[in-house]
Amino acid sequence: MEEVKSYIESGFLELYVIGDLNPSEKREVEEMAAQYPAIKTEFVEIQQALETYANTYAISPAEHLRERIINNLLTSVEDNNKEEETKIVALPSSNTSSFYKYAFAACLTLLVMSVAALFVLYTRLQDSNNQLASLQISNQSFSSRVNYMDKQLNESQQALSVLRNPEVKLIKLEATKAAPAGASMMIAFNPVKKQVMIDLSALEMPANDEQHQYQLWALVDGKPVDLGVFDKTKDKEGMKIMKAIGEVQAFAVTLEPRGGSINPTMDQLMVIGSI
Amino acid sequence: MNTTLSKKRKIALSENDLILALRRKEKIGAEALYDMYSSSLYGIIYRVVQQEEIAEDLLQETFVKIWNSFNYFDSEKGRLFTWMVNIARNLSIDKIRSKDFRNNSKNQDIENTVNFIDEQRNTIINPDTLGVRDLVDKLKPDQKSILDLIYFRGYTHVEAAEELGIPLGTVKTRLRMGIITLRKYFN
Repeated sequence: MEEVKSYIESGFLELYVIGDLNPSEKREVEEMAAQYPAIKTEFVEIQQALETYANTYAISPAEHLRERIINNLLTSVEDNNKEEETKIVALPSSNTSSFYKYAFAACLTLLVMSVAALFVLYTRLQDSNNQLASLQISNQSFSSRVNYMDKQLNESQQALSVLRNPEVKLIKLEATKAAPAGASMMIAFNPVKKQVMIDLSALEMPANDEQHQYQLWALVDGKPVDLGVFDKTKDKEGMKIMKAIGEVQAFAVTLEPRGGSINPTMDQLMVIGSI
Repeated sequence: MNTTLSKKRKIALSENDLILALRRKEKIGAEALYDMYSSSLYGIIYRVVQQEEIAEDLLQETFVKIWNSFNYFDSEKGRLFTWMVNIARNLSIDKIRSKDFRNNSKNQDIENTVNFIDEQRNTIINPDTLGVRDLVDKLKPDQKSILDLIYFRGYTHVEAAEELGIPLGTVKTRLRMGIITLRKYFN
């Protein structure tokens, strides 16, 4: 009986009734109560004491609750369980959903800012591309102009070097009766190097059509020798090199069908000049 | 049985009949359960949460839990009322410890509130506890405050010791002495 008395005085029974024991301690109390009637009696009395104590605070709930709660119990047990479950789930999910709301708003803001930045950059890129294109165009026109001037310079220098050469003779070919008045041209002739060149800057001839070309002849011992064909072009610079010949008495130009003839057409003799 | 069917008719069953009806989930079981215990359970819940709307929700929750988990009740292991009181207490204490409850309510002094409730509401006259209110007041204040902290506020012994600034052993002694005092008056 000592054991029973000390167990009663341990306070475990009170703690059990108050709900302040862990499962293994609860099991022990239940086993002791089942084993010893004295403990069982004590246990029941503690429960009754606290029940009475709790009852002293009894308050009638509002009338309308009775029907609501009883109906709730009778109608759907399942629904109540679900309701409980959704209540439990609802709290964290509302927190996370508000987190996702903010995250979504942040993403949206970033997206809008990115699009704006992209647009600005795209506009600037377009501007740069346009500038680059116009620069390339002006660069091209400069370089073609430089090329053109370079070419002119070369031709002028070439002409100058020919004309400066003491071996070169300049022969002026004068208009015949068949040619329009004032027609003339200059031939530079280097008998040492056997070079024959037309000075294009001094070519004063009427323009030839598509079917005809001028043909230069050398008169050697009274016989015409073909020195090649040429056109009256817009090109006014430089020297046109013709076929080579070393010994010449005179130069003459006839208008021949395009590509030239084997023998000169004498009634189309345009200009002539002797050395 | 009362032959006049009035709205205020209360249904009462013997504890054995009630347990049987609750096991079978009969309508009379639900009605008797409510009529016999709603005041006691509501009083406990109200004393814990101290807010009418929340207390009404918790009362419904308590009855739903009693109804749905009645299979777990074992009359061999304890009394029916103690089992139900613990369900009501645990749900209420969980509630006041939940984050949203603490955010929404001021910490009120429990004694002042209880006195206020008693003045405002018509506390039912329970024949079993008639005259007992005076006896409750005969509890020593230190025993009563420990009993209230642990029983109605769900404090652990350690928390109660910290709250009252007394050693843990003293908490246990006073709690036991308080219950012994109650038994002396009630039983």
